[in-house]
Amino acid sequence: MATETEHSPGEAVTARIERRWATLSIIIVGLLVGMAAYIGIHQATMPQGHVETADPKTLHLAGEFIESNLGSAVEADGSVTVRAIGQQYSFTPQCVVVPSETPVTFRATSADVVHGFLIEGTNINTMLVPGYVSALQVRFKAPGEHMMPCQEFCGIGHQGMWGKVKVVDKAAFLNMAAAKRRLTCVD
Amino acid sequence: MSDQPLVSLRNPWFVAGVGITVGIAAFSAVVGLIWLPLAQPDLKLSGIWDAICSAAGVPRATVQDASIKPEFRTSNVVMTSEMLTKPDQVSIGRGATLSQRCAICHGPQGVSDANSPNLAGQFAAVTYKELNDFKAGARVSVVMSPFAAAISDQDMKDVAAYYAYLPRVPSNNLNAGLPAPAIVVTGAPMRNIPPCGSCHGDIDNKAGSPWLGGQSAVYIKAQLQSLASGARRNDISQQMRNVARQMTPEEIDQAARYYAAQP
Ligand code: HEC
Ligand code: HEC
Ligand SMILES: [Cu+2]
Repeated sequence: MATETEHSPGEAVTARIERRWATLSIIIVGLLVGMAAYIGIHQATMPQGHVETADPKTLHLAGEFIESNLGSAVEADGSVTVRAIGQQYSFTPQCVVVPSETPVTFRATSADVVHGFLIEGTNINTMLVPGYVSALQVRFKAPGEHMMPCQEFCGIGHQGMWGKVKVVDKAAFLNMAAAKRRLTCVD
Repeated sequence: MSDQPLVSLRNPWFVAGVGITVGIAAFSAVVGLIWLPLAQPDLKLSGIWDAICSAAGVPRATVQDASIKPEFRTSNVVMTSEMLTKPDQVSIGRGATLSQRCAICHGPQGVSDANSPNLAGQFAAVTYKELNDFKAGARVSVVMSPFAAAISDQDMKDVAAYYAYLPRVPSNNLNAGLPAPAIVVTGAPMRNIPPCGSCHGDIDNKAGSPWLGGQSAVYIKAQLQSLASGARRNDISQQMRNVARQMTPEEIDQAARYYAAQP
């Protein structure tokens, strides 16, 4: 500010306003950084800890991704593991059933090209890359239904590729699991 | 400045600069490769070396825990899009001889008048896969299974090459003017049904998807019904069952009638 007069009231007002604006912007920046840090630490989906491989051509022959092993399994520690594959142009199982209020691990891979794996209303959003296993953890708060679309263009039928995740009450899930060792909600 | 060399242990600025940088690098390595991985109980790491390897992204094969074995036979064919796409003349010739045993049902030219499926012009990989599945018991048909029971791998490849080489013959039901139903053209994206042609060859071909044009409506309908009910489950990882299960009986009828009228 190049005013000739010293001690002009205008200069003092301007300086005060500038100081207040600077303070406010610093507070906003601090708030945003704080928010990012908080969300990053408390709600982020952590990058996967291991790189695991699985041959996309032989998933159906042996290993954890054979047809009869897909779906939700109750582990010894009470958590649930869901195994699924993405292929042109569907997920198997088409409908995944999981309990509420339980730690759930999704383990999924692709049988052909790169697919997307996203569960609406959760932090799960990753890619299924042929050759690699994607593993993610989540906990569903309440029963309900979530869409699970493929959000990565995977070929000419991509727009029809989606599955769903049905979250049911924990007790109801454990009842179902007593009768069958791999659960799905495919009719 | 003095004429002391810059890069020298006697230059305190140099020593401090490099020292701090190396210190930060070492600290970050310990935090990133050891401390943070070990702080995650879910990773179930067996020790420091395991922590370093997994943080550095060394790939490992999936842990083979006890998988549930199927109660039924599944296909054991490894499909690739290049499979049997380069036929040789010897193989086609041998296939022609072998195919005489199949002619009563599938027709001398691979085109059947009865409701056995046409094989002429079928993708070789499809014929090969279906024969394998009949032989392995993954697909079952009282009529067809006995003819695949004793066939050798090379024989399957040869008949497959021969039938792929035969021209598709337009069926008696050919009606190119028949409008394509919505289930064929657009599928039903809200029900996880892509257009049939995105796999079956009209638009694109997903390895192992049969050519449907000219197949009898009775056959197509029967197959869709048994895929939907799970009576037929030789499709790898449910790729066709996932589609058929979502189709309505009307859509099955429409698709069957449409494909029967195509070349
Ligand atoms: C007695 C009649 C008969 C004979 C002989 C026969 N087939 Fe078949 N074949 C059928 C019938 C019927 C089907 C349909 C099976 C079904 O409904 O699942 C079929 C299905 C097939 C299929 C599956 C086609 C598709 O599109 O999925 C192939 C491939 C096949 N046969 C090849 C052969 C070959 C090769 C031979 C000779 C070695 C042969 N068949 C002999 C009756 C026969
Ligand atoms: C995701 C790809 C895909 C889509 C989309 C698809 N199919 Fe299929 N279909 C397949 C595959 C793969 C097979 C072979 C299954 C096997 O391995 O035996 C098949 C098999 C079939 C068969 C049995 C044919 C035979 O000769 O054995 C019929 C009939 C059929 N599909 C009809 C349809 C119709 C109608 C549609 C559309 C509504 C459709 N398919 C959509 C992949 C697909
Ligand atoms: Cu996809």
